[in-house]
Amino acid sequence: MTHDSALERLRGGAEPRNHDARTIAALTANPGCARRGIMDAAGVDKDAVARRLGFPAPFGQSQFAITRGNAFEAQVKADGCAELLTLLRDRLGLDVPEVAYDDLEVVAGNESRELRHARTRRLLERALSSGEGTLFDHPLLRLDIAGQPAYLEPDVIAFQLGGRFHIIEIKSFAVIDGQAEPEQVAAAARQSAVYVLALRRLLEELGAPAERVSHEVFLVCPENFSNRPTATPLDVRPQLAVLGRQLARLTRVEQIVGGLPDDLTFELEAEELPDAVRTVEARYAPECMASCEMAFFCRDEARACGGTGVLGKAVRDDLGGVDSIGTALALADGSLDPSPDLAETAERLRTAARLRREALTA
Amino acid sequence: MSVLSSLAQLEAVATGRAQPLATVRHCHVAAEPLVMVPLKLAGEAAAPLAVMLGTERAEPTLLVVPQPRNRDLRFAFAADLAKLVLEYVESSRGATEELPPGKDGEERVRYGGAPQLLVPNRAGVGFLRMLGRSTRFRRTDGPYAVDPAVPRLGRWLTWFADRHDKPGACLLMTMTETLRLHWATGQSSLEDGNLAALLGWIDPPDGLDGPAAAARAEDPVTCPPAGPATDPTFDNEVLAPAIAAYDQSGDDRAEERVRSVLDGQLRPTWELMWDAIGLLRALPEGASVAARWERDRDSFTWYHSTFDESHPQARRDPAVRAARRLHDLERAQDAYDAQRAFDDPLVMAEHRLAGQAFGGVVTESEPTRLDESGRRPKLRPHLRVATEDPLQLDVGTTVCDAARPALKGKIIEIDAAGGVLLELTGGMGRKLVPEPGVVPEPGRRVCFTSLGTGSWGAAKFPEREDTPWTHGGPPEEYVPTDEDAAEEWS
Amino acid sequence: MPAAPDVPPAETTTETAAATDALEARIGDLRAAVRRAIANGDRQAARVLRSELRQAEEAWDEAVLGSGGPAHDVRRPLVPVRDQVHQALTLLGAPAAPKLIGSVYAAFFPGDIPGSRLTSLRRDEERSFRTAPYARPFYLCPALTADLLSPARGLLAVSTWPQAQRIVGPLSARADFLTAAIRVAEQAGRGPDGSGVQRLLWRFAANIPGATAGTVGTVDPAVLAEAARAELDVHRDADRHQRERAAERALAQLDDAGRLFGSRLHALRRTGSGNATDGENTR
Repeated sequence: MTHDSALERLRGGAEPRNHDARTIAALTANPGCARRGIMDAAGVDKDAVARRLGFPAPFGQSQFAITRGNAFEAQVKADGCAELLTLLRDRLGLDVPEVAYDDLEVVAGNESRELRHARTRRLLERALSSGEGTLFDHPLLRLDIAGQPAYLEPDVIAFQLGGRFHIIEIKSFAVIDGQAEPEQVAAAARQSAVYVLALRRLLEELGAPAERVSHEVFLVCPENFSNRPTATPLDVRPQLAVLGRQLARLTRVEQIVGGLPDDLTFELEAEELPDAVRTVEARYAPECMASCEMAFFCRDEARACGGTGVLGKAVRDDLGGVDSIGTALALADGSLDPSPDLAETAERLRTAARLRREALTA
Repeated sequence: MSVLSSLAQLEAVATGRAQPLATVRHCHVAAEPLVMVPLKLAGEAAAPLAVMLGTERAEPTLLVVPQPRNRDLRFAFAADLAKLVLEYVESSRGATEELPPGKDGEERVRYGGAPQLLVPNRAGVGFLRMLGRSTRFRRTDGPYAVDPAVPRLGRWLTWFADRHDKPGACLLMTMTETLRLHWATGQSSLEDGNLAALLGWIDPPDGLDGPAAAARAEDPVTCPPAGPATDPTFDNEVLAPAIAAYDQSGDDRAEERVRSVLDGQLRPTWELMWDAIGLLRALPEGASVAARWERDRDSFTWYHSTFDESHPQARRDPAVRAARRLHDLERAQDAYDAQRAFDDPLVMAEHRLAGQAFGGVVTESEPTRLDESGRRPKLRPHLRVATEDPLQLDVGTTVCDAARPALKGKIIEIDAAGGVLLELTGGMGRKLVPEPGVVPEPGRRVCFTSLGTGSWGAAKFPEREDTPWTHGGPPEEYVPTDEDAAEEWS
Repeated sequence: MPAAPDVPPAETTTETAAATDALEARIGDLRAAVRRAIANGDRQAARVLRSELRQAEEAWDEAVLGSGGPAHDVRRPLVPVRDQVHQALTLLGAPAAPKLIGSVYAAFFPGDIPGSRLTSLRRDEERSFRTAPYARPFYLCPALTADLLSPARGLLAVSTWPQAQRIVGPLSARADFLTAAIRVAEQAGRGPDGSGVQRLLWRFAANIPGATAGTVGTVDPAVLAEAARAELDVHRDADRHQRERAAERALAQLDDAGRLFGSRLHALRRTGSGNATDGENTR
């Protein structure tokens, strides 16, 4: 109760943001960052905050990519998933009678999430007890994020095969000669793991063992340069482990909120928004730019502080724990005497500085 | 990465300018490189949108696909591109040089020149690789016939992309990687992937420092991305309406509009590419660059002269070829690392910091010392070098002079005061007195290293017909099939 | 340099060129402004700027072309869209998605169904029926879901079909796909076939076991029909059973409009949500 109100205060009274698989998957990046941890736990709209701070996140999608994605998905699912059935029959030996298709996207012309979720539950419950049903298109799942239920509207299919459910994710990036771009596969695996987890939670609520949802998901992508779909099995156990760990962290909200000032709020209109954000420490790394809406603000802050982290993990490691660029340079030119724990790093830095000088003046 | 390059990055932050990581240029820059800036349609594996290319800054050629989803237009683009690239490849050959015959007496030749493709970044190489893959199996007859130049282009692009994987090869280079080899900026490697930002640090426009120039470069409206991916707001707000207008009217004017908006996206990167070429040319060329370019010319000579008899490259390497290739790449990496160190004291400094080389001043020298313990006396001068470097080499290690690798010696003794006693063993001539000036005199600055210049022997691999069963046994001879050619190109 | 006394053409050209340059500069500025507005999440401003941009682009077209832009091709189809869809559905004999309807029409009938017209079709049909029930010989209506008797997403049917044929259960998508395959194969077996027919046959054959689809153009309609019948035998009884039970419920529970367009309560909800997004529907 108390932490719910604390979280609401952090949001400045705004509704908690809507999560989707991408944002939930992003929660697993940079787990050590307190700033992001708190904003995510409270469901703060980081995108709006970043924009308000003058550092809008450049995450946009080209309509060409969106159109291509939708077209491929529609094609694979057309005519009762005709192409998908062919693929599942060829690759997984799906029996010919197994063709049942249930569309869960709309319930009686109504798209309310509660209704859709209830219907998803009902059909899956029936499937668990009777084995009825093969393809469940657009199931509406739910996952608790920091104590808040988040509805997930996956463009995926829950697929029942031999009493187990698999997530089928349709993606429009190409698999060429058996290989796809690793980053895209990794992102798909992270997102699929979110769906596997949500589907497992649902089964547990229905009294079934979580293992009835397989950790093996099927990624359906265009093959080579054609529009022909191909299916690739993907083991998402590692992603599931990371995700479970990070979601568990987010539920310990009391600990997170405990150490903060009582009046801290990320209300968008508040004048002290920048200070409020700065109150909570961030751990910026260049990788943040790929996944966190706050990244450009945090980078600016880290640069202003002269942190070595802005140069990337490799540099940070090379500098053996020296966090400040100024300190590292002072150790290198000998103007600062190192503390005993930095003696070795300082020695290397001084040698490096001498060698650079020698080489450049030779 | 190393402490040395990390320190250079810190200095870049402190000074607001990129700092050198090299004192010489470690790559060949052709007199007429073919600069290519490709763009692809978002969401597609290899649907080309446009490419700006040419060998002269003032005369770029712009090729555009006004509707990238139209297969005919894409192949028309591929045919146009093919003509330009193939023409460039032919014209780069130069005169043929006769070489002494090989061991078994076969004739050997080497072309005087070779083509050099320059693209902005790694993703550009990936795109050329994909374009190569999607065109090299196309058929020139039958229902989906393409211009005969198209599959030839595919094979050449595949070859270029393949050459890019080889360390030190200069047939296809990316500008961001090449610049990063020579300069360290005050931003992360991720941010260095943006060509405009990287160049902003190295050579900021008047009135700006590195960080300000890089910040400006990160605004996609001011500085379009260097491709092949386009900026989403450009796609949605500018390109999509232009393509839609083309779809509606299909006339020349609508096509011109698509061309002009894509020209606007490509032109800034085109200029940056030539700025970067200028910066590289201004550096003195490293001593081993010419020799590596000679290997590149050999490789080009071989591929070019066997082109007509050979098949398109297979979709995937069979086991033996993959293993041999990996081994070759590792060897090339080692040789390249060593050559750069010998060429460049700043690179050698990395090895000194790692303890595999040491530099200092000669304190004692006995240039005419003889070892008379054997039946015949041998010239074995002694040399003591005072060094402050964190030496990691043991007594007995063979080292050579970084400035004159032929001069070799052995570490005899390392004293507590940082003195290293060397016994020189070779590279001083055939007589019992050294050639004049070869043995360094006291007071001279020297650097010795355990790095070798070319002592990596070729490993033995089974012939393809002896591929072990663990690796799938002998692979079937790869012959392109109809299926390859009939493959749809979405 | 002696100035010519009268050089209006040159002057006009210079003026036009200056005006075109100014327009081009403005177009460039507006493009940048729209993109910045989007990047800053300011949709309102982006909309305003976008419309200014379109105006500037049109002005430029006019200045350069000197005419009112490219003429639009407004060929009216000879057959009304509802008749086209009716023809295609009658050939298929089962509820189908607009995409399949479109490709069947294009393969077997002269002309194309304009895709944009299909979206408003269903709404018009329902309105027409509710205003004057059974005034037309047939209506195009949604297939209904077996469990809730509400419109199934994106599936069209013909009102004169028996109720069970217009209802879809979990197996119906597959059964109807196979039925459509048989009907298309039979039709193709009767007449000369164009590339549209070949493509259609191939698409069915590629997804039905035993129909042997090598490449487009090699599908034997008889083999395809045979394979589709074989698979249909597996699903037919179970599918028919589910559909007929649902049809009985529909006849018992729904009024005439409901039996065609889905249960009335849900239909109301749909219209309700439609109002919010579609102004056209409010009239």
